[in-house]
Amino acid sequence: MDWKRFGFIALIITILIGTVVYVGQTRQTPLLIITSMLATTIAVATPLTLGALSGVYCERAGVVNIGIEGMMLTAAFFGWLGGIYMFQIYGLSAGISITLGVFFAIITGGLMALLHAALSITFKVDQIIGGTVINILAVGLTGFLNRQLFFGKGSVFGGTVPSSPGVLPTIHVPITELFAPLCGTSAVCLENVQAINRVFDQKPIAIAAILLVFISHYILFNTRWGLRTRAVGEHPRAADTVGINVIKMRYANVVIGGMFAGLAGAYFTIESVPSFEPLLTNGRGFISLAAMIFGNWTPIGAWAAALVFGASQALLINMQIFRDVIPPQLSFLQESYIVGLTPYILTMIILTGIIGRTTPPAADGVAYEK
Amino acid sequence: MKKLYFVMALLIVASMILAACGAPATEAPAAGATEAPVAAATEAPVAEVTLDDCVKEEVFCVGLVTDVGKVNDKSFNQSAWEGVQQSQVDGAADLVQFIETADAKDYAKNIATFGDAGFDVVVTVGFGLGEATLAAGVTYPDVKFIGVDQFQAWQFTEDTADDSANVTGLNFPEDQAGFLVGALAAMMSESHVIGAVCGTDVVPPVWRYGEGYKAGALYADGMNSTTTEVQVVYHSDVGFDKTFTDPEWGAQTAKAMMDNGADAVFGCGGLTGNGAITAAAQAGKYAIGVDADQYLTLPEAAPQMLSSAMKLIVPGVAELVAQAKDGSIAAGNYTGSAGYAPYHDLEGAVSDEVKAAMEEINAGLLDASITPGVAPAKP
Repeated sequence: MDWKRFGFIALIITILIGTVVYVGQTRQTPLLIITSMLATTIAVATPLTLGALSGVYCERAGVVNIGIEGMMLTAAFFGWLGGIYMFQIYGLSAGISITLGVFFAIITGGLMALLHAALSITFKVDQIIGGTVINILAVGLTGFLNRQLFFGKGSVFGGTVPSSPGVLPTIHVPITELFAPLCGTSAVCLENVQAINRVFDQKPIAIAAILLVFISHYILFNTRWGLRTRAVGEHPRAADTVGINVIKMRYANVVIGGMFAGLAGAYFTIESVPSFEPLLTNGRGFISLAAMIFGNWTPIGAWAAALVFGASQALLINMQIFRDVIPPQLSFLQESYIVGLTPYILTMIILTGIIGRTTPPAADGVAYEK
Repeated sequence: MKKLYFVMALLIVASMILAACGAPATEAPAAGATEAPVAAATEAPVAEVTLDDCVKEEVFCVGLVTDVGKVNDKSFNQSAWEGVQQSQVDGAADLVQFIETADAKDYAKNIATFGDAGFDVVVTVGFGLGEATLAAGVTYPDVKFIGVDQFQAWQFTEDTADDSANVTGLNFPEDQAGFLVGALAAMMSESHVIGAVCGTDVVPPVWRYGEGYKAGALYADGMNSTTTEVQVVYHSDVGFDKTFTDPEWGAQTAKAMMDNGADAVFGCGGLTGNGAITAAAQAGKYAIGVDADQYLTLPEAAPQMLSSAMKLIVPGVAELVAQAKDGSIAAGNYTGSAGYAPYHDLEGAVSDEVKAAMEEINAGLLDASITPGVAPAKP
């Protein structure tokens, strides 16, 4: 474990949240601010975490994947579309349609990744170009189909966007119910318990993302599969010599990575808002890549980095919510372009190696030729 | 290796074709003309007007260039396009046509497409197209340009060098629209905390919405002796290309506000605002739309849609096109009017006192006895 790096990340997140607590103290209790910030942080970090995990699987197996953005966008579209189809055309219930939508998104991500795998592993195309193809293809494909299916003449849905089956529900963790009796009659205590509960009341994909971080960590570093994945990413020839099928391992990991990106896509159109808009991923796939590098190609590191991105976003939002009570000496924090840069500056600091070395897999981006 | 090049070439060509098709309307109108506009044209009383007729003196053609986004964006572009269609129904325009802008780099190109095709009026939608519209005004002196939401600052400068004789900005008192819904939100809020999620405050109309919202809440507080906390968040941390198209950010911001006690959220800023509205509605809080009556356009949020801050874009655009037709249009700025949308499903939730107060405020704004007191742009 890279404790120096995690310490640094924890410090940054503490500073970000602490700043808001300091600024907002005249209006809101610290606990309420902290829990609100954490809830926002976790939610914002969800697609970044999944995107970064996608990158970790691909790159640990030796395939650079800059097509995460495109995989997310395509999955967001097809997950949403699949949900609507099931709901409107096949008349399934909203709950089943939404669930199936998530699966469509995951499958879409996997298929896009299969294309990337075919290009970069079988055809040995430059992996950066392969990823770029995925990104361009995603923008064109989703924009084209979105138009043709919903807005074109004689389109399936007759020129209007049908109402989607909705979004995934929030999963309520019964902390309030469990601890409320301890509060007795104290209203403040009850309010605090409810505030803490808010951090844990997340939606299914957000919860899944956190579980997947630890599952991925276990798989990569504690299983035979993980060892083989890392072997083909570090030294494919050596792996081949001991009988590991390099091509197969790489294919499998790229497709798994794509499925993670697919789940990230589902977050946008099935968990966050029930609608699709062209280009709605807004570069989050690329931010995921930064998070992956920031986290030194490890699942937990990438998650921690995604949380930094989430926390800085939460800071930006809260700085404006507390705009009226910001002390004058901190007014520069309202200039969102200053605070918005924080994660990117941190990524660059990390890359310089001041806080522990950042080492990509040795065979990352190199096609394997027997 | 040959096989490889073939596959690569095929993929790249395929993706480029798809990318091009994704925004078919940015192509020459000849290609886009097979879309809806021609269908609309055939409904017009003049039999079979085609694009080729636009160069003729007697055929009055109106083109519309959207801001980055779609003509059915459920908000801004859509209302302007409905205004143009209205002018066709009214008989002012013989042929109407739109181009959807896929990328901010294409503004000038898309406007030029109409200029070259001999259109008489070009409506450009959105603040972002302001510069491109002014430049096109010089290139095509015979074309009248209507810039929706484009404030023509040259009208107020001493320097006459960049004065334009054929560009009219259609502006709206957004501060009044924001004022109306701000007052409504403050009167309806039980927690006395209300929020607004907006696009970037660099765009003056967005700023006026947000600040008008605050002013309206303050006015309502004065009427009812309450104290309402108003949280206005602008999405200024990204560029123009993203600030209005980020529903996920809007939803997160709305959630953060609701965590801080807000029980009414005003979404002002295209798709970003729509995300906030949807999130507020899902949480069972009051949602307030913008620009158009979003009850009709956001079915997901409709049950909780309290009202919308309306720019009366449709009559504004139709009026200016009619003026362009009869030659009475004046270069400079034209101010349309603002309003608020009906309560729809929440009709029963809004008390008669609040309804009466809203009508009073609306009347006060119209006869200028109430002024929001908002600066035209962020200082």
